[in-house]
Amino acid sequence: MYNGLSLDQAPPISAVMRFFLTVPLFGILLSLTVFFHPEAVLTPAHPLSLAVIHMMVLGVITMAMLGALFQMQSVLGGRPIPAASGNALIIHVFLTVGILSLSGAFAFGGAAMFIVAAVFLGSSILYTANLILPLLFGGVTHDTLRGMQLALISLSVTAIFGIVMASSYANSTFSTMHDAIRTSHYSLGLIGWIGTLIIAVAFQVIEMFYVTIPYSLWCKRNVFRVIAASLFLKVVWLFFAFPFVWIFDLTLGALFTGFIITTLKRLQLRKRRVSDVSIWFWYTGIALLYIAIMAYGAYEWGHYKPLLDISLIAFILFALSIILGMIGKIVPFLVWFHLNSNGIMDAPIMSNIIPQSRAKTLFSLFLLTSFSLLGGIFLLELFVVGAIAAAAMFALLFFNLINALKVYRFSLTHGLRFEQI
Amino acid sequence: MILLDTRELDHPVPLEMAVNAFKKLSGDEIVHMIHRREPIPLFEIIVKNGGRYLSVMEREDLWHIYFTRSSAVILEHNHV
Repeated sequence: MYNGLSLDQAPPISAVMRFFLTVPLFGILLSLTVFFHPEAVLTPAHPLSLAVIHMMVLGVITMAMLGALFQMQSVLGGRPIPAASGNALIIHVFLTVGILSLSGAFAFGGAAMFIVAAVFLGSSILYTANLILPLLFGGVTHDTLRGMQLALISLSVTAIFGIVMASSYANSTFSTMHDAIRTSHYSLGLIGWIGTLIIAVAFQVIEMFYVTIPYSLWCKRNVFRVIAASLFLKVVWLFFAFPFVWIFDLTLGALFTGFIITTLKRLQLRKRRVSDVSIWFWYTGIALLYIAIMAYGAYEWGHYKPLLDISLIAFILFALSIILGMIGKIVPFLVWFHLNSNGIMDAPIMSNIIPQSRAKTLFSLFLLTSFSLLGGIFLLELFVVGAIAAAAMFALLFFNLINALKVYRFSLTHGLRFEQI
Repeated sequence: MILLDTRELDHPVPLEMAVNAFKKLSGDEIVHMIHRREPIPLFEIIVKNGGRYLSVMEREDLWHIYFTRSSAVILEHNHV
């Protein structure tokens, strides 16, 4: 029995929105890079390809996920983040400067920019982990919070490997361990950080948003242990150059396939089949994850290079699909919640804050982006179409976010307050 | 006692219904919300607007939440 949760659990709306508002800006920047240099972006290890990949995984995906972490921490009943506004500002500024420096360093060269990127990105990520991780340990019983622990630890180790690699690029000297470090860096970043956090979020939101049967307790308890063990052993295997490292990829592939099946089953069996754009994003994201796993498996088998491109692009689109769906749910909630907790009695309902028509258009643009970028691996012109669609999609996302904030500010100023009734 | 059973409703309908019910409360009225999870954000809205609440877990997927705007009325859970 509980009575009297502490006040001010939730961070201020600005703490979360500053991250979300930056997402489409990086999205537009990377879309323009793809539009003007499609061939370079599709060339492995090309500087522009590395710039675009880091703008995507840091500027879009990590930026959105850190914003969501600030919000989820309070909603899940964990201990609130201290001085959320100030800490969000510090993390956001350092992260943004770090991403711009890193992308600039890849695109234009320059040792100094790699060092600046390493300092800013490393400090923002390690500061975030140092801030949030202690709140997740000690009495944590929620499985989503356990997943967040693993995700943040993975992100921290990814950043440490990234700092080492940035110093290598800055000095143009690469150690014999460079390949092991690079593979560990992207394995931990893609699976340990992005994949883990999405599974952790799914455990919470699939049941809550769509009234499904819960995930099994065994699944919730053990999935993060399997991911942690597989990634740890994979890194050890890579550094000691042991054979059969693919066993850990196979384990992770099987685990993510299990996640796809169990999630699809829950969405299919949900009690009320209310149409919601966010659920379309979940279905599409799951389909893209399946494509990513199958393509990676086929690449490991046959070493046909386009399969690796398909796998990476599909995995990134999977994460983007879930992020777009979740931003469409979180932002209206934030506006509604902060208006109501400020005593605004005529706050708009959540479904009116981002109208369904605009949410559907965003989804259509995402579908067009996904098909075009995946097809673009075989036909370069389609990759350019994908860049245009992506730019339009991110522009619409920015418009939706700005309008939601306008609704918030207008209601906060002109709304009918509780004491006036 | 106003009963609000939101167990079968998709998010965010339960939250919106609960806040609407809270806005309409008068005197010693109490809302008894039955929900499948603890609606933590609701509590902040209630307390910041001068209300009080009691949250009781019957099972992991069955919660009873009582809330009122009255400072005098006693909130207690009677097994239903």
